[in-house]
Amino acid sequence: MFKVSNLTVSVEDKEILKDFSIDVSPGEVHAIMGPNGSGKSTLAHVCAGKEDYTVLNGEVLLNDENLLDLDPDERSTRGLFLAFQYPIEIPGVTTMTFLKSSLEAHYKANCKEVLSTPDFMKLVREKAAELNIDDDMIRRPLNVGFSGGEKKRNEILQMALLDPKICILDETDSGLDIDALKLVAEGVNKLRSESRSFIVITHYQRLLDYIKPDYVHIMYKGKIIETGDSTLALDLEKSGYNNYIK
Amino acid sequence: MSTTDIQISAEEQILSYCKKNIATQDKKHCFYNSRLGAYELFKRDGLPGVKNENWKYTNILQKLETIPVRSQIHSAPLNVNNFINNFDIMRKLRDTNDTVLVFMDGKMQEQLSLLYEKRNIEISSLKDDVIPEWANKINNKKHSENEDELFNLNTLLMEDGALINVKKNNIRIENVYIVHVGNNNGFYNYRHIINIEDHAQVNIIELKISNKSDIDALYTSSIIWSIGNHCVVNNVKYQAHNQITIGFNQQYADIGSNTEFNSFTISSGSKLLRESRNINCNGSNSNISISGVNLLDGNSHIDTFLSVRHKAPNTISREKYKSIINDNAKGVFQGNIIVDQIAQKTIAKQSIDALILSSHAEHDAKPELEIYADDVQCGHGATTGQISQDSLFYLKSRGIPEDEARRLLIHAFVTDTLDEIKDKKILETFGDVMNNMLNRVSKGNFNV
Repeated sequence: MFKVSNLTVSVEDKEILKDFSIDVSPGEVHAIMGPNGSGKSTLAHVCAGKEDYTVLNGEVLLNDENLLDLDPDERSTRGLFLAFQYPIEIPGVTTMTFLKSSLEAHYKANCKEVLSTPDFMKLVREKAAELNIDDDMIRRPLNVGFSGGEKKRNEILQMALLDPKICILDETDSGLDIDALKLVAEGVNKLRSESRSFIVITHYQRLLDYIKPDYVHIMYKGKIIETGDSTLALDLEKSGYNNYIK
Repeated sequence: MSTTDIQISAEEQILSYCKKNIATQDKKHCFYNSRLGAYELFKRDGLPGVKNENWKYTNILQKLETIPVRSQIHSAPLNVNNFINNFDIMRKLRDTNDTVLVFMDGKMQEQLSLLYEKRNIEISSLKDDVIPEWANKINNKKHSENEDELFNLNTLLMEDGALINVKKNNIRIENVYIVHVGNNNGFYNYRHIINIEDHAQVNIIELKISNKSDIDALYTSSIIWSIGNHCVVNNVKYQAHNQITIGFNQQYADIGSNTEFNSFTISSGSKLLRESRNINCNGSNSNISISGVNLLDGNSHIDTFLSVRHKAPNTISREKYKSIINDNAKGVFQGNIIVDQIAQKTIAKQSIDALILSSHAEHDAKPELEIYADDVQCGHGATTGQISQDSLFYLKSRGIPEDEARRLLIHAFVTDTLDEIKDKKILETFGDVMNNMLNRVSKGNFNV
């Protein structure tokens, strides 16, 4: 369903991803761990279509369509969702306006009838309540003055509304306390389904206590150097990366 | 103007026009001496050039080649309701009983205006033979150190204007609309004088709109405010000119003690628009807000000159301006806050922000503080930037197409300035109006 094949990406002539490949089947959760600078966030950004990167080779396929040929908004409406490590603050755009624009864009792109405003509000409130997001937060400017936990919950709210096929969580656990981490993980777990897949990028095994992965990959110098099950993360937590970095 | 006149510079044409004009003025009229004085000054100084610090970013003669001649064909709308319904803002904003003063090409149109008997508001015209004493007094005083060549030109050539006197203790807030339509264009000059007596409240809403015309427009306008003590005055101005209009607007305001004055302007279009605003906080405990949004595209050039002078203790001023500049347009902002030695405990904050949407767009900002008191809180800041690529990516990553994402960010940039509009109904209406203008400007390539 989601497949990255032989992806080589550079920034200012420096190769960050080197022949990177991963194959994610429907319903699977893949965790990617790796030391700083191994290219994890670059992978997330390139998949989502951020500029500043030069793709030298490879493909990013979602249901056999190469996302690299599409703009970021088209990648999103095709079903890719990137949960940002640092969600962007946008003063002047309320969270509600943003969510409405986003959801409408998805509905239009997928030839679905756009919700009426009352139906949209009802939907947002339902999804928000599940993530302990109150009305006040939705009325505030997007991510402005939000705590780390609120920002990440807001990301999960967007994920819940947009109904993506593949979700890439870029260090969603960074900056979260234990309670916020649990809440975010619960939000993600509720969204797990047979048709939706996840790539969870993290530095810490802790997140994987809450979001159980089917596969754990170790990424180093732009490619996957080891793949295992969830016990690999436990092993990493104990012994670090040295045993795997050749 | 004959074809031979076009050979000489616009400045010489204006001087020649002034010479003819002063010769026709009634020497017995109470404005005559001020007109004559202004003529002598204009004859001596001519138009301000770029060597003048206050005009360093705006070269008038580069934009003004000749004085446009007014068309003789009048296409005025036939009745007041049709006229008002042509303007979205008026339809939404106006209540029955609100006073509406309509001007076309600098001249009051009585048949299009709505004048009701109001116990506390007196309205007359600057072109009347007899000018009320209060108006004469305000007109003939010196308003600011910043009175310049264009003000002299306006003093000399003003043909018409509204004289509005809001009487003491007018506690019911009245809306007064001053609508100006550039219809057949040409060269015209007008002045409004507004006197607000103590303990009075009023909303003055100015709308300046250009109809499509084949004839260029050149105008000077001034609005002179004298505001008493314990007043609440909300002033909102919306001006959307076409790109063949050159306009020089001047505002002078004297503010009394314990008075709140909120003035908000949305400006768009224009070949050249100079917006000069000069505010004196003369009485203690006054609280003023001077703010606005400039939306520029095509080849527009809008130059805002703002001077706020605190002349009494315990006064507060906020100046917040935002500009969005697209295509080949140029925005200029010069803001000056002066705090006199006597004006202790002044709080003054000025911010000037510009969002540049095109690589050919330009913004020049010159914020200044002149502080002679030692116990004040004053600050200013100026930013010029582009749309944040990170913000754009974030929105796009949620499926929002590029155009819509840019539109959201452009709206977001100016939204907070609307907080300075205190009247909820005006705020709502102007919010809608601004959104429409923003949608156009954000696309760029605007041409009339």
